Amino acid sequence: MSFTKRPGIIFILIAAPVIMILISLLIGRYPVDIETIIHILWCRITMQPCNAEDIYQTVVWDIRLPRAVLGAMVGGSLAISGAAFQGLFRNPLVSSGILGVSSGAGFGAALAIILFHQVAATYIFAFGFGILAVILSYLISRVYNATPTIMLVLGGVIVSSVFSALISLAKYLADPMDELPAIVFWLMGSLASARYSDIITAGIPMLIGTAGLILIRWRINVLSMGDREAHTLGINTGLNKGIVIACATLATAGAVCVSGIIGWVGLVIPHIGRMLVGNDNKILIPVSFLLGAVFLVIVDDIGRNLTGAEIPLGILTALVGGPFFVYLLKKTKGGGW
Amino acid sequence: MNSLIEVQEVSFKYPGALVLDKIEFTINQGEVFCLLGPNGCGKTTLLDCILGWLKPCAGQIMLNGNALTGMSARKIAKHMAYVPQIHEKTFPYLVRDIVLMGRASYMGTFKVPSAEDIKIAENALDTVGMLKLKERPYTQLSGGEGQLVMVARALAQNTPLIIMDEPTAHLDYKHELVILETIVELIKNSRLSVLMATHIPNHCYYFENQGISTRAALIKDHRIMALGKPSEVLTEQTMGELYNIKTHIIECSLDEGEQLKQVLPVRTLNN
Repeated sequence: MSFTKRPGIIFILIAAPVIMILISLLIGRYPVDIETIIHILWCRITMQPCNAEDIYQTVVWDIRLPRAVLGAMVGGSLAISGAAFQGLFRNPLVSSGILGVSSGAGFGAALAIILFHQVAATYIFAFGFGILAVILSYLISRVYNATPTIMLVLGGVIVSSVFSALISLAKYLADPMDELPAIVFWLMGSLASARYSDIITAGIPMLIGTAGLILIRWRINVLSMGDREAHTLGINTGLNKGIVIACATLATAGAVCVSGIIGWVGLVIPHIGRMLVGNDNKILIPVSFLLGAVFLVIVDDIGRNLTGAEIPLGILTALVGGPFFVYLLKKTKGGGW
Repeated sequence: MNSLIEVQEVSFKYPGALVLDKIEFTINQGEVFCLLGPNGCGKTTLLDCILGWLKPCAGQIMLNGNALTGMSARKIAKHMAYVPQIHEKTFPYLVRDIVLMGRASYMGTFKVPSAEDIKIAENALDTVGMLKLKERPYTQLSGGEGQLVMVARALAQNTPLIIMDEPTAHLDYKHELVILETIVELIKNSRLSVLMATHIPNHCYYFENQGISTRAALIKDHRIMALGKPSEVLTEQTMGELYNIKTHIIECSLDEGEQLKQVLPVRTLNN
């Protein structure tokens, strides 16, 4: 099943996130018909005055659209970082949180919730601590003046467990009436508060990270041969690993700081990509982004419509993704593993 | 004859253990240079130093007259390619994708392989007779096929020197010979040089029997014990010193007029 023989897939994959974002504009508690949606989108894009009712404009343009766009960006960022880390660490069981970015961000958010009770601080702390966690993992791995892959993983494990302990400590100390539930919900992940300002602020690190990974994608193939072979193939392993880690961390931290911790996407979406298009990172890296984007938009649509209250994303990603993954596993016979 | 590599009094130490002690030799164009020696004598460490992966603690290595120290990985990779002893397969990449990685040193950091690179990779696969398997996941190949793919990757690197670390380890009787024949053809047709570590003295004789310029270095206790043409240095006496075994060397001519010289192991010596 070679990718080059199936150019149709690439077209479907590129179109899918856009189509899915448009479909999510239709879905929701407040019914809006399709003509109104097209009318509102058309007016807004062409900057013409709009004669649809204000409530429709708010629902479509200010609530559903930013949420779907942010969902696509978050899902894509988590999946592309996961795919990059799997290649870099030569381990298909690695996810975007391997170097501690998720637990670091979780602790940062918990700290901000306890100290400041305000959303902006949560973003900044989550982002900052997420980056800090990865820097710590990297420094721990440098005890030998080099960064062997196994030491990086070990550093990530250490840093993750320290920050997980600190998250527990924060929960223990938090006010059980309002702070504790806020921390717990944040840790389960949600896109409910999505606004355009989030897309812009968190979008910058996500776009920089994603763009960097797409640019360096073929090198990840070479890095996945292991340090010694990558060196003999002519690659500055330290520098190239650094670039991949920096980009994946920026993308993940940007995603996590607005959405909370959403598991599964960074681990399993790349595998779905491997089954569909193979393991060549030249194709797999961008495809992971597209698949992650589609997946999270779908899951978020389910999460906000299935019941009266929103279901946190971190719960649904696995519940929806699990059976789908098993189906694909059966259909593609494991994709060559 | 041009010397591709000059190893000048190279020593290497791990904390508390001397691994290489003033090793000295040169590799010339168009020759096979074999490193022989028991397990743990420092062969792989020596290869790692030459590849620029480990830094010698004393002495230096010259590539075409330039010091290896401080040379970028990219520059080294245009000079020599490497066929590893054990290649850990993690992802089921296609055979062609693996060979394409040999082109990395010719491509910018943010580039993907061009049509030209793909052509070079396919030519390399063709040279080792593996072109028909280019669309297969390389995890599904046999040990011998996998090793030929690694040789093709080294060829795609288009270097004057290929370094092989026990290229026939784990291979069956026939594929061992296939690899050796491939090496002979490469040297005869492309004037490549090969530096290989091996555990099998007969490999050196095989190359010599095939009429290609061959030298062997016998490494014992971290130093070179003997260096020269196989028929000069691979004797019953040196084999005894190197491996502590009794051997018998035979020579005969085959029906086709080919000369055959081989070392036969007899028994281990206790002392």
